[in-house]
Amino acid sequence: MTAIVAEHVTKRFGGFEAVSDVSFEVPGGQFLAVLGPNGAGKTTTLEMLEGFSAPTSGTLRVLGTDPHRGSRAWRARIGLVLQSTSLDPGLTARDTLALFAGLYPDPRPVSEAIEIAGLAADARTKVGVLSGGQRRRVDLAIGIIGRPAVLFLDEPTTALDPEARRHTWTAVENLATSGTTIVLTTHYIDEADHLAQRILVLADGRIAADTTPARLRAQAGPATIRYVLEDPGVARALPARLAPHLEPDGRTLLIRSTDIAGVLRELAGFAERHRLGLAGLEVGPPSLEEAYLTVIDSQPSPEGNRT
Amino acid sequence: MSNDAGTATPVVPRAASPGHAAVARLPGTPRLLAGQIGYQVRQLLANGRTLAIGIGLPVILLIASKGKGSAPDVAGYAAFGLTITAWASYGVRLVAARESGLLKRWRASPLPRWCYFAGAILATTLTAVIAGAVAVAVAVLLWGSHFGAGPSIQLTGRGTAAILIVFALAALAWASAATAVTSLIPSVEAAFPTLTLIYFPLVIVSGVLFSLNEPSWLSTLVTYLPAQPMIDAARNAVHHAPGVPFIPGRDAAVLAAWAAGGLLVAILTFRWEPHRPRGHAGTRPTRSPRPDVG
Repeated sequence: MTAIVAEHVTKRFGGFEAVSDVSFEVPGGQFLAVLGPNGAGKTTTLEMLEGFSAPTSGTLRVLGTDPHRGSRAWRARIGLVLQSTSLDPGLTARDTLALFAGLYPDPRPVSEAIEIAGLAADARTKVGVLSGGQRRRVDLAIGIIGRPAVLFLDEPTTALDPEARRHTWTAVENLATSGTTIVLTTHYIDEADHLAQRILVLADGRIAADTTPARLRAQAGPATIRYVLEDPGVARALPARLAPHLEPDGRTLLIRSTDIAGVLRELAGFAERHRLGLAGLEVGPPSLEEAYLTVIDSQPSPEGNRT
Repeated sequence: MSNDAGTATPVVPRAASPGHAAVARLPGTPRLLAGQIGYQVRQLLANGRTLAIGIGLPVILLIASKGKGSAPDVAGYAAFGLTITAWASYGVRLVAARESGLLKRWRASPLPRWCYFAGAILATTLTAVIAGAVAVAVAVLLWGSHFGAGPSIQLTGRGTAAILIVFALAALAWASAATAVTSLIPSVEAAFPTLTLIYFPLVIVSGVLFSLNEPSWLSTLVTYLPAQPMIDAARNAVHHAPGVPFIPGRDAAVLAAWAAGGLLVAILTFRWEPHRPRGHAGTRPTRSPRPDVG
């Protein structure tokens, strides 16, 4: 079953086009990460999927329904965590969850939601005095209290410390394995890599890549080899293949190549001939971040035509 | 009035047996509305400041006028407290809930949207009536049931019922109007001054605390605004003369019209989303010119 369908969705605010002709489908149970820099249209897209606003043109369906016209029954099947926390500071986490649980036909028990979100220690504390990270957990617990079929997470870990992030990841992973369709926006590449089965990269309101973490990594291109000559004097003796890669400082070799073995053989031979140590040699794998930046940078300017 | 009435939102799934998901139905709206009223009342009561103004102010004014020996204006004082509760405090709370993103969160939930309004307005009305009842009770404690000089001027059981009905109607009118006005208020900081600037002159001109020698066009105008009919009706209930209805029809009609009109405007113009998204600094889209007003 297809959980989400977007067909040629465009959203304009006045003269500003936040989302331009975006089309994608999300099968039920998939974990999709929407990745992109600030202003790429991630939140605008998510808010249309959540029903807060209608597309200027194009069609959206979430669980077969136009989100902007979603009924109560439809909203009962959608869970969401908004980009900024939105809680009544005067209630405890437990009371907040009990209040929201009462809105759903088949809510998760409050204690279970508290357990999943990792709130047990703070369940009876007023939300207003919780830390930012703890409040995000309450947001997450509200998002899942109704046993949603589709869960939207808008930057759920932004501003969290690493430990809180890890915990949120675990909670979200558990939901994903239980068959919930999840759409997550983030600008952390490692988050998308860790959690998602599929990555949609948005840039300037357009889909720049629709890929998987593995394929994105494969797209990353050459590895980077870096070696600093302790004595710049030997630079003159560099083999022809390496010499062009000497940085302007006259001592740093920075080589981007897919033929790692070949480069290393040349470098090792050169080092042996000149009795140089190789302790400072660095070989960097192609990073997801690099792949992501390559995808973003290869985008035409906002005014340019999309091919 | 138990303050946890209706707040007992079910913690466990309604159906007792497992495997009920297929037959689970959306909770009925009466239960949802009761839950909202309970939630809002609990929030109002938990916030001592709201109570301090709504109940405390009339009581302070009553005690302060004890020395004069003559009848205190219990109706006027209580009505003054009511406008603060049902207009200013309520309006500020509503703007704060909107600007903090709370309303947006409710809007995305399966709660029918009208239930949020209705819950907030009815809870405010309930609080305002309680505050009015306390003011009347304190007046009775201090002066007995005789207000004023003549034997005909006294607070009867029916008069008490009438004044509470007037308070309920007036609170409904003020809270509905406040709901309508909040969509024009851009921030929590602006809420209190804006709301105060509207109700305070109105309440004074309407003769809540003392009589002004206002121009006649102004005294005609205020009979169409919610403050003067509220005070007139409340005083009429306390200083009730035989042969006169306990609640003047015209006053009730003006208040009812404000309640209905306020609700209508609120439904048409209500704003669920904050004016400025409260994103974490540095994570907001840098180029978005303004948030979606839709």
